[in-house]
Amino acid sequence: MHQTLLTLAIIGYVAATGLALAYLVQREEVLHRLASLATMAAWVLHTVALLALALDLGRPPLGSLSEAVSVAVWVVVLLEMWLERRYGLSVLGAFVLPVALVFSLQSTATRPLIGPTLGGVWLWVHIGLALVGIAAFVLNFAGAVMYLLQERQLKGKRLGTLYYTLPALATLDRLTYRTLALGFPFLTTGLILGVLWAGAAWGSVFTFDPLALSSYVAWAVYAATLAGRAAGGWHGRRGAYFAILGFAALVLTLGAGLFLPGRHGG
Amino acid sequence: MPLFVAGLSHRNAPVELREQLAVDEDKLRELLRDIAATGIVREALILSTCNRVEVYAVADVPGEARATTFRRLCRHRGVEPAAVEAVLYTHADGDAVRHVFRVASSLDSMMIGEPQILGQVKDAFALAQSCEAVGPALHTLFTQAFAVAKKVRTETEIARHAVSVSFAAVELAKKIFAGLDGKAVLLVGAGKMSELAARHLVEQGAFPLYVANRTWARAQEMARALAGTAVPFDELATALATVDIVIASTGAPEPVIRRDTVQRVINGRRGRPLFFIDIAVPRDVEDTVDSLDGVYCYDIDDLKQVVDANIRERGREAHRAEALVEREVAKFLARLGDVEVIPTIVSLRERLEAIRTGEVKRTLARLPGATPETREAIEALSTAIVNKILHAPITKLRESSRAGSPRSWLALVHELFGLGRQ
Repeated sequence: MHQTLLTLAIIGYVAATGLALAYLVQREEVLHRLASLATMAAWVLHTVALLALALDLGRPPLGSLSEAVSVAVWVVVLLEMWLERRYGLSVLGAFVLPVALVFSLQSTATRPLIGPTLGGVWLWVHIGLALVGIAAFVLNFAGAVMYLLQERQLKGKRLGTLYYTLPALATLDRLTYRTLALGFPFLTTGLILGVLWAGAAWGSVFTFDPLALSSYVAWAVYAATLAGRAAGGWHGRRGAYFAILGFAALVLTLGAGLFLPGRHGG
Repeated sequence: MPLFVAGLSHRNAPVELREQLAVDEDKLRELLRDIAATGIVREALILSTCNRVEVYAVADVPGEARATTFRRLCRHRGVEPAAVEAVLYTHADGDAVRHVFRVASSLDSMMIGEPQILGQVKDAFALAQSCEAVGPALHTLFTQAFAVAKKVRTETEIARHAVSVSFAAVELAKKIFAGLDGKAVLLVGAGKMSELAARHLVEQGAFPLYVANRTWARAQEMARALAGTAVPFDELATALATVDIVIASTGAPEPVIRRDTVQRVINGRRGRPLFFIDIAVPRDVEDTVDSLDGVYCYDIDDLKQVVDANIRERGREAHRAEALVEREVAKFLARLGDVEVIPTIVSLRERLEAIRTGEVKRTLARLPGATPETREAIEALSTAIVNKILHAPITKLRESSRAGSPRSWLALVHELFGLGRQ
């Protein structure tokens, strides 16, 4: 049941991504409206699929990395729809949905994230918080990419389609900053819980677990960016580069969880 | 509706001829009354701007009406008719409708999307109305043209992007800072264009405004005129540290804003961008300033390039606008055509319905024992037959009106079904 719904949702995301990209190039308002509708429909299907899965399992659908990523995608799309309206950013979908789509495609692979013997509320909270953080950083990444593209247009003075479609630099800078400020506390709390839990369950905080180690790197990058922004005025391009660097570390983290042996994988 | 438009415009007539033919308001009234009095046009409207002189009219013999109107127009203005005749274009019926819609929507203007033309068309319409030269046909047509023009303006972006250098600079500022509320502006040097750009910025919320000039008195004078503050010219660097937008337009032979100055300033700005609008020739901002991080520097050539890009953008939007106009023309003609054939369709239906009810009544009178079911079946059967028979002729009538030639079909239907005079 949930598998069918999930497949339908992914088909919906594919359609939404295609429409959003077409809108970016064609700038026909009708494409944007269709993309929004497709996104909304796919997200509703996704919601139902996740609920069905949770009922099926009798626990939160966060027990394997693929489940967790699926939930992360769900949060990403929710944030995308909200921020698009909040900032009047009609092109946001074109930059966020492709990333969400790539994530949701890999989430068809299944591999247990935690052993059946492990559990407890704090574990679910650890995974859930980290996921919301990751979702915010997907938006952070999209904002940074848009910023760099628009900044290139303005610096290069050869104004193309993107100059007209993308919003103002200040808007994009604010979007990157806000998403960073939103994601960071979630990621931090998620990681702290993970560290505490690891200390209790594995006996040591610094056991060699690729996912955990890589996530510390991502956290450090984001912490540096946030500090730089708050104290040193790292606006604009530098902030955008760091957002992309941090996101790369996050992707590595997920990749490590998927493909490398460690405590987070089976 | 035998509608036509005849005229000349910037597209085919040289400016000398256009200005010779352009008519002022009083003359227009006179002319409209004149041609209305001849009785060759039923309705007429004359649009006279610096880019076009056009007559919109409803006449039974369009060719004659066109020739007479322009002969009179030429006589009024003392222009050789042959010169006008050579460049005169004429559009009739559907093409005329399309032309009105395009003109009102500013798609036929020299600068696509310019806002004046709609007002000019509205004035011409009001004037023709005041001369009682506008009848139901032109009234419907122009009211619709105004609606289409509004739709084109709101649904496409043909009028969105700036086509003047000073407005283009303001748009760029908005693409950098989002809103201009509270963005500080520094005006270096004087000049019409820089003053204009400064005014645009202030209108969009930019504040405060500083003015620097080598001549202190001139700086004070400009500061007063623009409600800004004068700053001494040798304190430029201090001012640079606090402002967001700099408009430079001095007559200095050497750059007055140097890279090392800006470099120092940038370090203290904590990443806030700095936008230079350099409209001076030779340039006021040193070449290499542009490569600094967080600095956007547009000289006059860059701004002209932005304007060119904006014009291309308008052209792109014009395609969408043309498609929109095309749909509106089709809708308008369909409605108009339907208006023409609807009376015939109604009387055709009435005629067949009368036959049907008469026959049903006679049949039922001969079947006193018929059950309610039988009666109902007979009603349904006869109605179905009538509808099936009517389907083809009605469709044909509607189609013919959309194709613009309903007259012969109308006559034929009247003849065949004995509907009496049209």
